[in-house]
Order: sequence, then C-alpha cells, then structure tokens
Amino acid sequence: MEITTVPELSVRIGSLTLRTPVTTGSGTFGFGSEVAEFVDLNKIGAVTVKATSREARAGNPPLRMVETPAGVLNAIGLQNGGIENYLAEKAPFLRRYSVPIIVNVPGENPEDFAYVVRRLTDSGAADAIELNISCPNVSHGLDFATDPRLTAEVVATCRRATHLPLIAKLSPNVADIRPIAKAAEEAGADGLSLINTVIGTSIDAKKRRFRLANITGGLSGPAIKPIALLHVYRAAQAVEIPIIGMGGIMTATDAVEFLLAGASAVAVGTASFVNPAVAIEISEGIAAYLKENGFATVGALVGAIEP
Amino acid sequence: MKLSAPGHYVLTFDAGQKMASAVKPGQFLGVAMDTGGMQFLRRPFSFYSADPETGHASILFSVYGATTAQMARLAPGETLDILGPLGGRAFTPDTRPGAHQVMVGGGYGVPPLAFLARRLLTADPDSSVTLINGARTAEFLVGTEGLETLGIHLREATNDGSRGTQGLVTLILQEILEARAEHVPIHIYTCGPTPMMRAVAEMAMRYEVPCQVSMEVFMPCGVGICMGCAVERTDQTFARGCTDGPVFEAREVAWK
Ligand SMILES: Cc1cc2nc3c(=O)[nH]c(=O)nc-3n(C[C@H](O)[C@H](O)[C@H](O)COP(=O)(O)OP(=O)(O)OC[C@H]3O[C@@H](n4cnc5c(N)ncnc54)[C@H](O)[C@@H]3O)c2cc1C
Ligand SMILES: Cc1cc2nc3c(=O)[nH]c(=O)nc-3n(C[C@H](O)[C@H](O)[C@H](O)COP(=O)(O)O)c2cc1C
Ligand code: FES
Repeated sequence: MEITTVPELSVRIGSLTLRTPVTTGSGTFGFGSEVAEFVDLNKIGAVTVKATSREARAGNPPLRMVETPAGVLNAIGLQNGGIENYLAEKAPFLRRYSVPIIVNVPGENPEDFAYVVRRLTDSGAADAIELNISCPNVSHGLDFATDPRLTAEVVATCRRATHLPLIAKLSPNVADIRPIAKAAEEAGADGLSLINTVIGTSIDAKKRRFRLANITGGLSGPAIKPIALLHVYRAAQAVEIPIIGMGGIMTATDAVEFLLAGASAVAVGTASFVNPAVAIEISEGIAAYLKENGFATVGALVGAIEP
Repeated sequence: MKLSAPGHYVLTFDAGQKMASAVKPGQFLGVAMDTGGMQFLRRPFSFYSADPETGHASILFSVYGATTAQMARLAPGETLDILGPLGGRAFTPDTRPGAHQVMVGGGYGVPPLAFLARRLLTADPDSSVTLINGARTAEFLVGTEGLETLGIHLREATNDGSRGTQGLVTLILQEILEARAEHVPIHIYTCGPTPMMRAVAEMAMRYEVPCQVSMEVFMPCGVGICMGCAVERTDQTFARGCTDGPVFEAREVAWK
C-alpha cells in the first residue's frame, strides 16, 4: 500500500485532543518553562507537568537520584510549590503556548485529590488531570493504585469534582494490573497512564550504606520497558478507555512498541533528561514509521499485534 | 586534547560563537558519551575557557568513571554531544573598586575559577586576583597554567608538602584574611570537594567576607526538570543545584 498523505498523528483522551501521541512524563519535564529555550513546546502532544499537591512539599533530602544499569532510581518526594503556586507562577507561562496541559495531582486522601482537581477546573489551568495514585516515594507502603477499591474511591471522588478528562496513573508494583485498570474505568476515568516507577533501592558496598537518603526509590528508564510493555498490554485487554503508555521510552521504536501493546499515546520521562527535545523527535519518528509501514493514522497501529 | 596531569585532561572543542560568547564562568555543560550501555545520563563539566572570537571552549576533567574514561579516548576531529551552557547562576564578580578577588579551588573545582580569574584580568588588567589551589600532592595541582603571566597571584597547598604550603587551602586563606587591610574589600569564590568548600565557606562567614560557592552535586538533567540535584538551603527548602545554582552565596547553603 502506498500512502502519500501525511499520517494522522492526533489522538483523543476523553474530550482532549493531542496533536501528536507523545506527551511528557510528569516530574521529568518540570513545568515546561525550564526547557522552553531548547524545545518548541507547541510541537509536543501535551505537556504533563510535575506533580502539584494541595500544599507545598519540600521533597526528600539528598541524595535523591542515582543512575543504575540502564535506569535511574529517584526519590524526589514530590517537591512542589503547591496548587496556589502552580496557578500563580507556573500555569501562566504554559498558557502562552497552545500545547494542552495535563496536571499531575497527588494526594494523601480522596479529598486532597478532589480539592486540587476543583481548583484546576475552576481556574482553567489544566486541559486534563492525571491522578497520581501511584507515587512510590510518598506512600507509606501502600499506594492507592495497588488496591482496586482505593483506586475507585479516588477516581470517583474526583469525577464528581470535574468535567475535565481524568487520567488515572497506575502503579507497576502489583501482581495483576487488570482489576485496578477496570476499577479506574468503572469509577469514571477517561484514560489511564502507566506505568509509574518500579520500586527499588541501591546499595553502596564500599560505604556499606543505602545510596538514597529515602532508602527506597522509583526506577525508570530503559531497564523498566519490558515491565511497562506487559502492564500496558494487559490493561489494554481489560479496558476500553485510552492508555498513555510509558516506561523506558528512549526512541520512536520504543514508542511504537507501546502503541502495538495497546497504548493510544505515549509519554517520555527519563529520556528528556538526556535530550529535552526527545518528545518531538519521537513524534517525528512515529510519523515516519506510520508512513513506511502504510498506516494512515496512529489509531490504526494501536494494539495491532499478533497474539 | 592534552594531558595536564596523570588522569587529568584538557578537552578543547568547537562550541560555536553563540555558546562561547554566552557562557559565564561557573556555568557548565552536559556531556553525553556512548559508554556501551554503562551510563546514559549526561555528566556536568565546568567551562575552563571560552573564546567568543574563535568559538572554541574547553573543559578540564579527570577520569572517574565510564563517561570520563570514554572522554579520555576522544581523538581530534570527533564529535562531542553537549548540552549547554547550563547553570542558572554563575559567579558574579565583585565590582567594588580595588576589591581583592580570592579564589579557592581544589581538583576539578579549579577550572571555573581559572576561567573567572582570566575574565577578570582581561576586563581589567589592574584587578587584584589571588588563586589558592590545593591538592593531595604536587602532580594533582592542575588548571592554573598561564595564569601567573596574566598577573594572577597563585598560591598552592599540598597535603604532603610536595609543593607550596603543606596543609589545606584554608591555611593560606586564613593568612590572607588575617592580613587584610581595612580599605581593601575581599571577595571569596570557591569550587572543589564539598568538605573543602564547607571549610572555606565557614571561614568566610566567620570573617564576615562575602563568599560564592559553586556546589558540586549529582546533576541528572542539568536543565531544571528532574529535581534530583537538591541543595539544602538554610531555610530548609531545597534549591536545584543546576538552575538555581550551581553558584550560591555561602550563607544560603545548609552546610552539613
Ligand atoms: C557543576 C559541576 C561541574 C563539574 N565540573 C567538572 C569539571 O570541570 N571537571 C571534572 O573532571 N569533573 C567535573 N564535575 C564532576 C563530574 O561531573 C563527575 O565526576 C562525573 O560523575 C564523572 O562522570 P563519570 O561517568 O566519569 O563518573 P561516574 O560514573 O559518574 O562516577 C564514577 C565513580 O566515581 C565517583 N565520583 C564521581 N565524581 C566524583 C567526585 N567528584 N569525587 C569523588 N568521587 C567521584 C562516583 O561516586 C562513582 O563511584 C562537575 C560536576 C558538577 C556538578
Ligand atoms: C525524577 C522523576 C520524577 C518523577 N515524578 C513524578 C511525579 O511527580 N508524578 C508522577 O506521576 N510520576 C512521576 N515520575 C514517573 C514518570 O512520570 C514516569 O511514569 C516514569 O519515569 C516511567 O517513564 P520513563 O521510564 O520514561 O521515565 C517521575 C519520574 C522521575 C524519573
Ligand atoms: S539536575 Fe535535574 S533539576 Fe537539576
């Protein structure tokens, strides 16, 4: 088949349209302003910003990050200025661009989430909201996203608080992601993001100490791609809503693998640390793949894999 | 590329005129090397020189791990994958008339100070600049080539006494601070291993002399998007070493 037209790259998540299927992983792209001099933000599908909580959070003490084989282990501890700081200091900059904004929201209880969701909705400072029910660095051993009932409770509470597209960000630190994905869908999520980081630690044998001050951290980068691909594949079997796949995407080929596994869009996280413009390069690479392989739309590639 | 001491190299590259004229002493760049899968994050290196006319810039590095080992193998003409100039806050020269600019460095903390010293002397040949360089032993005293001919007063300290004063850089710094004249303002700039900077910062605060420190922390992205480079401030908040720094006032940092 010969396709001469440019492939259609746009994808929808609820009522939100992304011009390209590539967004940024929350916490790996700041608030966009930091890298605006290196990257044309309008060429990214959506900017997913750093977690924004009800109150400001100081974050964890150093050391917060170490590089491990093919990965990065982080324990940032959701350092952020809180929702009012986001609205006053961060959102106005991003709003000068036409790129959609997805705001990542963490919380300690469903009310915390809903409070921030309402503030974002009333202020118009988000085009979609990603519920971070899976951060391994602040939970005390149990994330909302390790339990279908807790997942549903947070999503349902936030659903009542907004008409904006709601994306539930799920944890890989579970035996089976399907019941959790299903619970989020049934509670009213418009989409799912997966995966968040994989819990782990790093030990310095010479000093006989843990490297991270927090001891535990979340692993990201190429090392987690196989884990992410399987979770995305399984979740896609269980739900109808679109999935934003992420975990170790460094190249357009990695992104295509996630689309084949059943993701409708992808996010790049750790890769932006090496090349802040990588999200754009990956969009271009996906377009080239579609063209070469005779796909007219990104959608045609989603889940297009032989079992 | 030039070997300047065992395991220490000066790497000169074409940064382009835009970067070479934009860069300020204290700023750095992120270097990515193909380490065969050992590492993929960039590593930060301070600018050692930058010439706006030729567009050439250099860094001075020592071999620690995979990235620097790979850098040491670069051959002339090869391409270098760099991101920069990085760093939100560079050294701010003290413009008080007649100020004595005192730089205290050790190891790879010396390159940004040497760069600053050269810039100060080029802007004003009458500047009074002292650079105190410290190392374990004489062969590791690096980064000061050509500075004395520019008029920089070079002082050296080695732990084993193989060159200069035997002992720590703070011995020399204390001597300068003790001998200071009422009408000559002193400003300290320091970069090097954290214990050294801490000692310098504490001494500067004791003598109530302004002191700028260039913090050396792990910098996964260098551009302000990961929050992995936390530097604790005295008010218990965390600054980003890369974009809020790398240069801070000594009294801003919670030294622990
Ligand atoms: C702002 C800034 C500017 C810098 N400028 C320079 C510069 O001009 N020249 C230069 O040579 N380096 C500089 N560094 C340090 C350099 O970025 C690191 O040493 C880097 O980690 C080296 O990368 P690598 O892959 O070779 O070693 P890595 O694999 O990162 O490290 C290998 C091993 O060495 C240890 N190690 C790394 N750095 C140090 C250190 N500083 N002291 C003791 N042990 C260490 C690590 O813990 C690890 O075990 C700078 C750092 C910062 C933050
Ligand atoms: C330094 C760092 C900070 C992160 N912060 C957040 C965050 O605030 N909220 C969130 O939902 N995910 C956060 N993540 C997870 C990423 O968004 C992403 O899910 C994960 O890193 C996997 O993708 P990657 O392998 O492409 O990085 C963070 C990841 C890293 C490395
Ligand atoms: S190194 Fe990433 S924010 Fe400073």
